[in-house]
Amino acid sequence: MTFETFIFYLLGFIAAASGLMMITVKNPVKAALWLVLAFIATAGLWILAQAEFLGLVLILVYVGAVMVLFLFVVMMLDINLVVLKEGFTRYLPIGAVAALATFALIYMVVGPDRFGLQAFPAPTPLPADASNTKMIAVPLYTTHVYAFILAAVLLLVGIVAAISLTLRRRPPKEVQYQDIDAQVKVQAKDRFEMIKMAPVVEPEIKKEEKEE
Amino acid sequence: MIALSDYLVFGAVLFTISMAGIFLNRKNIIVLLMSIELLLLAVNTNLVAFSSYLNDVTGQIFVFFILTVAAAEAAIGLAIIVLVFRNRKSINVDDLNSLKG
Amino acid sequence: MNFVIPNFAPAIPEIALLILASVVLIGDTIWSKRCQNATYYATQLSLIIVGWLIVDSFTVHQIVTFDGSFVRDTLSDVLKIFTVLIALGIFLFARTSMQEKKYGSGEFYVLGLFAILGMFVMISAYNLITLYLGLEIMSLSLYAIIALHRNSGVAVEAASKYFVLGALATGMLLYGFSMIYGATGEINFDKIAAVIATGQVDHTVLAFGVVFVVIGLIFKMGGAPFHMWVPDVYHGAPTAVTLFLGTIPKIAAFAMVYRLMVEAMPGLLKDWQQLLIIVTVLSLIVGSIVAIAQDNLKRMLAYSGIGHVGFILLGFIAGTFDGFASAMYYVLVYAITGLVGFGMMIVLGKGRQEFDRIDDFKGLNARNPWLALMMLFAMFSMAGVPPFIGFFAKLMVIEEVVKAGFVWLAVVAVITAVISAFYYLRVVKVMYFDVPEDTTPIKAVNRTTQWTASFVAIALLVFGLIPSGFINLCYNAVALTH
Repeated sequence: MTFETFIFYLLGFIAAASGLMMITVKNPVKAALWLVLAFIATAGLWILAQAEFLGLVLILVYVGAVMVLFLFVVMMLDINLVVLKEGFTRYLPIGAVAALATFALIYMVVGPDRFGLQAFPAPTPLPADASNTKMIAVPLYTTHVYAFILAAVLLLVGIVAAISLTLRRRPPKEVQYQDIDAQVKVQAKDRFEMIKMAPVVEPEIKKEEKEE
Repeated sequence: MIALSDYLVFGAVLFTISMAGIFLNRKNIIVLLMSIELLLLAVNTNLVAFSSYLNDVTGQIFVFFILTVAAAEAAIGLAIIVLVFRNRKSINVDDLNSLKG
Repeated sequence: MNFVIPNFAPAIPEIALLILASVVLIGDTIWSKRCQNATYYATQLSLIIVGWLIVDSFTVHQIVTFDGSFVRDTLSDVLKIFTVLIALGIFLFARTSMQEKKYGSGEFYVLGLFAILGMFVMISAYNLITLYLGLEIMSLSLYAIIALHRNSGVAVEAASKYFVLGALATGMLLYGFSMIYGATGEINFDKIAAVIATGQVDHTVLAFGVVFVVIGLIFKMGGAPFHMWVPDVYHGAPTAVTLFLGTIPKIAAFAMVYRLMVEAMPGLLKDWQQLLIIVTVLSLIVGSIVAIAQDNLKRMLAYSGIGHVGFILLGFIAGTFDGFASAMYYVLVYAITGLVGFGMMIVLGKGRQEFDRIDDFKGLNARNPWLALMMLFAMFSMAGVPPFIGFFAKLMVIEEVVKAGFVWLAVVAVITAVISAFYYLRVVKVMYFDVPEDTTPIKAVNRTTQWTASFVAIALLVFGLIPSGFINLCYNAVALTH
């Protein structure tokens, strides 16, 4: 076993195990953190497959942004954990059998018989100065420029949708805003007003009250 | 040496786990969403491995786009979950039963 | 580095639609306070401009540009023109509905335009990446549109179901794509077809990929056995949105199946044919039998839509170009009929209350004979009663299947069509022979929607009486494409 295969199996094991933990733990915060670990381990596997750029993007974008978003939402929603704890194990045996069957089926197709080293020899390692980023960047901006623009449209749709779904304009009574324009423009006369008042005449004290 | 099949089998493991997560998890929509992220991770691992062993960069570009889309998808999915929570005060899958399936 | 600027001309309708949608998006923030209807008119104007641009540059050749990412052919032009026409009707009905029900905002139109852009991209996709991106642009917009009515618990619930199952379907589809890419090493449809044609590709891997692709497609189209979301989403979404969901996305889905199955994987015909046969038989049965038990018109139309998906796939099973043309004819007819079927609920739905229970239609003939007649046209057309257009759609599809030698499938289709005629006719019976609880005459919400619905409903009859032009259009479009 070479060093590379050792790293491969180590990372693969970590990713698979944390994936399993993610679907079994009850607490969604912990589930998100296990998923983060799965992403990091998989990023290592991608770098092992000479896809350095995507490996780093996976960590930066997924772990750094998407999973943080998940954690944000999980913590923002005050989820009742007691309710969440029920009822997972009821389907577990039948689910485990179905999952193993699915895996066996996929293994028969993608297993070493078809995709072993005889059929697909390991790629020759790229020279030290080869840039994976450049390899991706050039076709991205030339051959796939149409798809690139579409991805931009898609992100715009995401922005519009997420904002229009969640932005709440509360009535002014509920939330008090600071209106800086008004604060700057304010003059002394707006705040301070001289009012002419009629002199106050002391009311006559009634006789009965006096006696008391 | 690491064979292509090793990567594909790893992808299959992730795929199976995410399927199990989707069908076994009858409780929490957020974990359902995370399982879908895991499913996309399995797909991406497949594509990266094929790209590397076929010596063709297109697979990696495909992954680049899938990552972009998945990020937007997660944003919208979480927005919908927030709405569900505001309406129901719960994100249990079982509570989503006002429409008979 | 040699880079040639790609030919942008074929994509001008898409580019124009993107620009106009962005203008409407920005404009909406500016004028929404002062003028409520400006966004609506800007949206309709954008659609008319885009439709005109397509008609103006209508092509009878296949043009591939952007290094094989984008294809423009007669099929795509015809599908896009119909998408635009039906979308014009959808927005017209939707505005009325949203005004009556007192919800909605400019985002509905903006996201609607983006969804249509996604459909255009799907229709014109020529490699796996663009197909995927178009699908996602459409789906993400649709998820958001359903949830836009955000104080409605059922709408949000429908959106969450649609989202989870839609994302799962996309994952399945992508797993299939990864297998196809791995087996062939290509993502462009013509190149995939060429590699498969050489016969040097491992057939098991390809077939395995096809299974996942078909599962993903059927999920997205809403065919059995992956139809669970359809009735819930159609029911939970506000009627204006159901109208959107039930019509034009099917056209885009047809294009997606056509591009993947016919253009990319004609060499695997035997494999996807078998899968589609199972799906079709299940869809036809579910669509005809479960729909009988529904008392909500939206749910009933949702189940009947599952049956219609079965008929559309029947055309693909035939495996001939005439078969694909009949499927195309069917999907267009279905989308147009759906516009009346769902639109009628909006035309009659005055006030906050939805007009979507079958009981609401009780004695409609006594309350408003004209609209009852129009609804009768829509129901007869969906049921496939001659001489309405829906009859010819069913006839063409069944004829092509028989020609391809699947007589037993044609028999199943005919039997299920007869069963489903039962529940369409039940609506007619309720309208004409039941006594309403409330006998006051009912008026349409406004004139424009009434006349639009009537216009489309009469078109169902007219194109049924003189069907050849429309049918030839579809057959020629497919014939010019391959």
